[in-house]
Amino acid sequence: MAYSLRWTGMRIFLATETRVQLHEWLAIATGSLVQAALLVFVWVLDPTLLPLTVIGAMVYSVFLIGQRVLNEAAYIRIDHKLNELYHASPMSPESYFLGMSLGILIAYTPPLVVLFAILEFLHPMSFAATGMLVLALLGIWAFSASLGYYISTLFKDMKTIWPYSSLLTNLFGIVPPVFFPLSVLTVRFPWAWVPALLVPTSSATALIEAVAGLQTLSPTEYLVAGGSLAIEAALMLLFGIYWARRTAREV
Amino acid sequence: MDSVVDEKVLAEIRKGRTFPAFALIGWRWVARNPVATIVPILLPFFFLYFLALITPPEAHLFPLQVVGAMLFTTQNIGSWCLSDSAYWRLEQRLQDMFVASPLGKFQYLFGVAFSNLIPAMPALIILGIILSLVTPVSVTGWLVLAAAIFMVWVLYSAIGIAVSSRLQSQMEVWPVGSLVFTTLGILSPLYYPLTYLAERAPVWAGLARFLPATYAALIVQSALNLPDALPSEGLVDAALLVVSTVVGLVLAMSLYTWREH
Repeated sequence: MAYSLRWTGMRIFLATETRVQLHEWLAIATGSLVQAALLVFVWVLDPTLLPLTVIGAMVYSVFLIGQRVLNEAAYIRIDHKLNELYHASPMSPESYFLGMSLGILIAYTPPLVVLFAILEFLHPMSFAATGMLVLALLGIWAFSASLGYYISTLFKDMKTIWPYSSLLTNLFGIVPPVFFPLSVLTVRFPWAWVPALLVPTSSATALIEAVAGLQTLSPTEYLVAGGSLAIEAALMLLFGIYWARRTAREV
Repeated sequence: MDSVVDEKVLAEIRKGRTFPAFALIGWRWVARNPVATIVPILLPFFFLYFLALITPPEAHLFPLQVVGAMLFTTQNIGSWCLSDSAYWRLEQRLQDMFVASPLGKFQYLFGVAFSNLIPAMPALIILGIILSLVTPVSVTGWLVLAAAIFMVWVLYSAIGIAVSSRLQSQMEVWPVGSLVFTTLGILSPLYYPLTYLAERAPVWAGLARFLPATYAALIVQSALNLPDALPSEGLVDAALLVVSTVVGLVLAMSLYTWREH
């Protein structure tokens, strides 16, 4: 019973968090600027890569949503001490963590819809490819939101948080093959497919691109990419829920 | 007697130790927060890495992209100035202390810009070394590059400070800073030649002609004889860069409210 999920307060906190986030329309809009910069680079320098880069931009955007959880959880806890009020209420810790993460996901969906429309224009997606896109993005959200929530609990000062958030975003979003195809990397470093497909952002990108027919993966590569994304997302989400329960206390 | 001593002390203070003081603030930030210092200057390197992977090798654009990264880094100092001046004014009420001190508005604003130049210096030096390794750079080339960086630093710091004076809440700092400076960074063709943009989007290329960072990029590209440079327009671009810097400074000085809150 102790380990069963409790959802008290989930709906109301999800609605609250969604509304709070939607008020920050400027942050939602500016959250897509790095993606826009990279899309412009590709459009100017090698437009043939554009559909792949749009998929990368969607994966990056969802990873960024998780990092938004980092900022929001830290802001509520450090700046406003509101988490003490929430934890003193009947709302369960997992409702607090998941309500916040889902609320941010919902609020940050409009830029994703715009990117999907661009992708449909550049490279119409089949039903299977769209399904894979949704699944992979949910996996990235689960991984990133849980990681962001965990990291948010490690800090005591807002000013020291953002560099780590930015570093994580760049390390997961720009270094691995997210905005460029896996083959660009493996042509130079043939061994690089293994680490690349173990990183959730690049494994998600590779899976979506392969199902959409934009690149080819061998059965082994499918297995590594799919397996690693599923396992990492599930483990991280379970850890996030565990951590939310463990850290739910008044300071 | 007391008043004589006070006057002497005040006179000494008014002579100004602004730059060393703000250099110390910049250095303290670097020394106390190495991660916070490293991360913002990594973005141009991430961009370079990405561009190196996607640019067709026959285009030979890497030196141009290194110059672009130097100008982009300098341009980003404006965003840090925005963040610092807003944080000090809104969150810490430090500006009230500066206003009450003998420090003037001009010294304060230049001080903020100078303290933010310190964390950007390592990136600029590393990029300068990379540039010297990938293309021959003459003495004139270095001088033009340094002058362009100086102008961009002054102008974009002024923009950052001017924008910060209109912010009402700390929550606005990141999105507004990102909106202004990343957008300006995207609109100016820093990482690719203007001619490439003119081929794909002539209207955009025309718009980019009104952005000071474009002038800076074009001047440096001409001075270094990089591919697709437009040397015939160097003087006009230099004049436009100087004019925009002066206008930016005047605007920042007039927009920035220098009083206790």
